[in-house]
Amino acid sequence: MIKIKNLSFYYKKKSPLFNDFSLEVESGRIVGLLGKNGAGKSTLLNLIAGLIQPKQGNINVNKFAPFERNPNFLGDIYMVPEEFSFPHVSIDCYVKAFSPLYPAFDKEKLEQIFEEFELDKNSHLNKLSHGQRKKFLISFALASNCKVLVLDEPTNGLDIPSKSQFRKILVSSVTDEQLVLISTHQVKDIDTIIDKVVVINNGTIIYQENTDEISQKLYFDVVPSLAGVENVLHQEKCPLGHKVIVPSTKGNESSIDMELLFNAIINKSIKAE
Amino acid sequence: MRNDIMLNYKKFLFTIVGAFILGFIILYMTMPKMIHLNSNYTFGGMRYFQTFAICLFGLGAFVGSAFSELNNKVASSNYLLIPASTFEKFLCQFVIRVLFGTTIFLFVFWVDAHLARFAALSHIVDQNNQLAGPEKFRFIEKFHYSMFLIKDQYPIVTYWKWYDGIAMILGIFSIGVYLFSVKLFFRKMGLIKTSISLVALFYLLAGIMILFSHIFYPRTVGFNMNLEEYTTTFHNISNVEIFIYSICYFSLLFLLPLGYFKLKEKQV
Repeated sequence: MIKIKNLSFYYKKKSPLFNDFSLEVESGRIVGLLGKNGAGKSTLLNLIAGLIQPKQGNINVNKFAPFERNPNFLGDIYMVPEEFSFPHVSIDCYVKAFSPLYPAFDKEKLEQIFEEFELDKNSHLNKLSHGQRKKFLISFALASNCKVLVLDEPTNGLDIPSKSQFRKILVSSVTDEQLVLISTHQVKDIDTIIDKVVVINNGTIIYQENTDEISQKLYFDVVPSLAGVENVLHQEKCPLGHKVIVPSTKGNESSIDMELLFNAIINKSIKAE
Repeated sequence: MRNDIMLNYKKFLFTIVGAFILGFIILYMTMPKMIHLNSNYTFGGMRYFQTFAICLFGLGAFVGSAFSELNNKVASSNYLLIPASTFEKFLCQFVIRVLFGTTIFLFVFWVDAHLARFAALSHIVDQNNQLAGPEKFRFIEKFHYSMFLIKDQYPIVTYWKWYDGIAMILGIFSIGVYLFSVKLFFRKMGLIKTSISLVALFYLLAGIMILFSHIFYPRTVGFNMNLEEYTTTFHNISNVEIFIYSICYFSLLFLLPLGYFKLKEKQV
């Protein structure tokens, strides 16, 4: 569980990134943290992981203050950063060195994920491609069974089949006790797996909603023409005509077009209640 | 620590082999290749000590490479997120770099000194360019660490007081700890910045002394330091000696906790 209360943070005092920022997310969810470049997504993840210290306010992750970097806290949170580096060792050596540090680490699960991602544990980490190394890191994160998984742009560098594999593996391996926080600006990559959307802009949350509630409230459709379509909340041109968001009527549900929703939120066509 | 050794054992092995080869070359190069049978020249404690002092720079560089993970933002993040307490991380680096590093350095130097002596003696020639006979052994003494404590055939410890020895050891150790903490203070160009800051610290200390001299002894001129030296009742040590000893003794107590808290407060 993550509880952030009245958080303030800045790199330069004159341009604060977060001011009186609050957020609460419960375990058992896959949360999509969305925002434009420079919105503060990575900084927020770094604050949650304890890599930077808040200037004011409280952050509570699994009852720990992250910046204290208590070993029990660090053993129950795993962060897959956007950029990463590895020591000059094989996958097997890396796993032997680091897996004992995570109390809930599951080696069988790791091998299953390796099979699905087609990773060879004898490969040298620094001889793998960027995408393969990312797949390894995601595999390790999921096998660690940490209560909080923080994934910063996890689909960057993955090819198209790997992206769908990633979605499949993530959904099948996350338990109700875990909380997965995915930060991305490639919203389409995660639209089918997240069950809560948090959009931040200029250091404030401009929208947060569970996906089932979004489906109940909003209807996403593609229409050849806008003529005859009523109550259009947001629309964008597409090759087949227009993508539209309209209020959902009773019993009328559609799959969420996350990119369309994101653009609607950023353009203030849709606001949080 | 197990984790660190597992990941870096190749690097450590290469460092030890490199230090072994370099130490041998330095020692061998400084040992005489030709001798005059009538001369009193001896490659003994002082010569060994000079070579030892040169090799200490190598140990300093190794100790200074502690916390190499803090070189850049990405590696720093990985390192700080390793599930271990700050104390464990600090202690692990201290044990590997300072304790193991120093012990292995002393052993490697000892082996190198014996091998270099053996190599040098095996083809040392006399003034007639003939291979020297059994008398050659007196020109290069057999190495043992206790020879560093002997001066003019008398143990240095008879000149020194106990507090001199402790001050020297702690002084060297303080420099080691300062080098050890380099990466905690400076992310890039750590060794250069450390050298500059050491010089700056020296001048700062001198500056303070000059300032105090001007305050307490108004007759002081320019950049002169007015040190009124007197003998204290404690073992008849002078006040200046007490000042130097206190720096040697207490800087370590200050540097280690400072390094620990720098690591604890480290951000990416």
